[in-house]
Amino acid sequence: MKKILASLCTIFLFSNIVTSAKAEINFLIGTWAEEPLTPFVEAFEKETGIEVNIQTFPFRDLLATIEVRGNAQADDVDVIFVDAPLVPSYAVRGMIGPMDEYFADTSVNAIFAPAGIAAASWNGEMYAPPLNNSGQLTYYNKDLLAKAGCAEPSMIEAERVTWEEIVDCAKKITDEANGVHGFIFDQISRYYQLQALPESAGGGSGVCEGGLSVKGCLTNDGWMKAGQFYYDIHNTSNISPKGVGPDQTHELFGLGKIGIFVGGSWNNGRWADTDLNYGVALHPYFEGGKVVTGCNSWHIGVWNHSKQKADAAKLVRYLTASPDVAIHYVEEHNSLPAHNSAILHVAEDPKFNNFPGIVMNLATYESANHCATRGRTPGFLEFEEIVNTSFEDIRNGGDPASVLADAESRIESSMRRYK
Amino acid sequence: MVPYLFLAPALIGTIAFKLYPIFIGFWESLIYTSFSGGVEKRIFVWFENYQYLFDDKIFWKSLEITAFLTIIINPLQIAMSLGLALLLMRKSKFIRIIRSLYLLPIGIALPIATIIWGLMLDPNQGLINGLIGVFGIPPQPFLVSENQALWCIIAIATWKGVAFWMLFLLAGLEDIPKQYYEAAEIDGATPFQKFRYVTLPQLKRTILFVFVADTAANFVLMVPMIILTKGGPLQSTNVLIYEGYRSGFYYQDWGRSLSIITILTVITLIVIGLQLLFLSERNEGIKVK
Repeated sequence: MKKILASLCTIFLFSNIVTSAKAEINFLIGTWAEEPLTPFVEAFEKETGIEVNIQTFPFRDLLATIEVRGNAQADDVDVIFVDAPLVPSYAVRGMIGPMDEYFADTSVNAIFAPAGIAAASWNGEMYAPPLNNSGQLTYYNKDLLAKAGCAEPSMIEAERVTWEEIVDCAKKITDEANGVHGFIFDQISRYYQLQALPESAGGGSGVCEGGLSVKGCLTNDGWMKAGQFYYDIHNTSNISPKGVGPDQTHELFGLGKIGIFVGGSWNNGRWADTDLNYGVALHPYFEGGKVVTGCNSWHIGVWNHSKQKADAAKLVRYLTASPDVAIHYVEEHNSLPAHNSAILHVAEDPKFNNFPGIVMNLATYESANHCATRGRTPGFLEFEEIVNTSFEDIRNGGDPASVLADAESRIESSMRRYK
Repeated sequence: MVPYLFLAPALIGTIAFKLYPIFIGFWESLIYTSFSGGVEKRIFVWFENYQYLFDDKIFWKSLEITAFLTIIINPLQIAMSLGLALLLMRKSKFIRIIRSLYLLPIGIALPIATIIWGLMLDPNQGLINGLIGVFGIPPQPFLVSENQALWCIIAIATWKGVAFWMLFLLAGLEDIPKQYYEAAEIDGATPFQKFRYVTLPQLKRTILFVFVADTAANFVLMVPMIILTKGGPLQSTNVLIYEGYRSGFYYQDWGRSLSIITILTVITLIVIGLQLLFLSERNEGIKVK
């Protein structure tokens, strides 16, 4: 009996040792990435024997969760999704660590496009390699434009549409009684998309040189022009509807209720199964101003408080440096790649020369040539939140000058912590 | 010793889960976290976070909105709960079914109720605009209007809260001996006199409890703000609890966040203290005549 008991205890103990020896890492991602990444994470598990526990969160909750875990210096997180402009914030606050040593055996320049590396780095070190990139385009409803007698926006650089032309056409399309509006932004009241307005008007990113102040940079003429434009399309010409959230905009366009939709390349697949007769063109700019579009996307970083940094770094490298993941994102999710091999894939595959695949080619062109990197500041989290709220206030009828002045004062106050 | 032993579990719970967090919150409100030069430093700054707060017009606007909300929503909810409780005390064959119907909102979680109300109040495709359109009223902006958003939140919170508070008042009404009403009737009391001189005095303790609990609950009301308005438009629904939440979880300014929460705790204690002072049994404000 004693022998049996001793054997059972040994087996139990041994099984525990085996179980505890098996590495498990926790990976915090956005809900939208679960479907594309899961097959690759499973392949990684098979290849390395490291178990990955994926935890998904909606966009805002993901950021809040990362902050809460960061404040608690929690060691139950190993790998996190990092929004490109948050790299400096997380790096400065010690939430993610430098990744260079994990890519020491290769050249990151050979893997990633320069813009992706730049967005992944802070103070000369790479903290979070890019998973993908993004690009913004003009989509338009051919039937509504024809009915209003508008010319279709162009894919040719020399004939790029201006914001002034967009407004003129959108006014002709708008029929509020029937719920039809001439224009809508994909990501309403979000800095990511709307930064293109002040940038095009010469106002810059909103963050001053050095990244530690916004004084005068959020209330300059360019930002005032952008604020007034955003106010007018929702409150004066009423070409854009109020009360619609960023999750609803592509649906409205898909239903034929919107004439012109400025949004990301990823929207292209959303209308594949509809009868929508639509076209695509280059991103608009202010007449006489700069041509600028939103860019950059999600990166992946190793949690600095993780006890399994080496395993975590293996997963980060597996997902970001793999051409397969990047090409999958291109093919299945219309996401722009940050990986050189996938960029080449888009350039070489003939299907990307014709509609609707040409969306990827145009977005790649926009991102490569007119990308406005979001303001580089360790206080980006606060900056973005306040700017987003301010755009929403302007949309809801707030005076652009006073709303932007308030925003500047609030952000300046919050940035004192980084000076 | 024995009574203290009996009290111990509750006392330990109160200290661990109420007083200790309040103390920690207050202590952390005196800390300023700096990331100057890329190095995190926690600096004890005494009341500097509070000083910054008092110079911040967003804080004062938020305080003003919280005060306005408190003044409107608490009496409104108590009055509606009491009215509903009195209606449901009436004798009817279907009273149990009717009571169950009124209790339905309690069974719906506030976030779900908020989402449903958000859909109904949608200015473009919402049900409410469709309904008022039948009467020739033009579509209203509701949650995207600086002047209507707070009222919409008051309506949502009241719809959700009234049935819950009504339950306590209904229980209080059931406890009032029938003989009191019979005696009042023999004396020729009108329905209003019965309400004024029998119901209200007998229900005083219940009303006091509901008033205090409702006030405390509404000071921390922020689910509709998180889900529907994000404190806007133009700060019009930015109550203190939400500003504190936003400062901590969105702006990562925990010193500011916990200063706001400490101030809110003090305000809540003062308001509840005043309610207890003016409505308690010792006070002669409402007498049984």
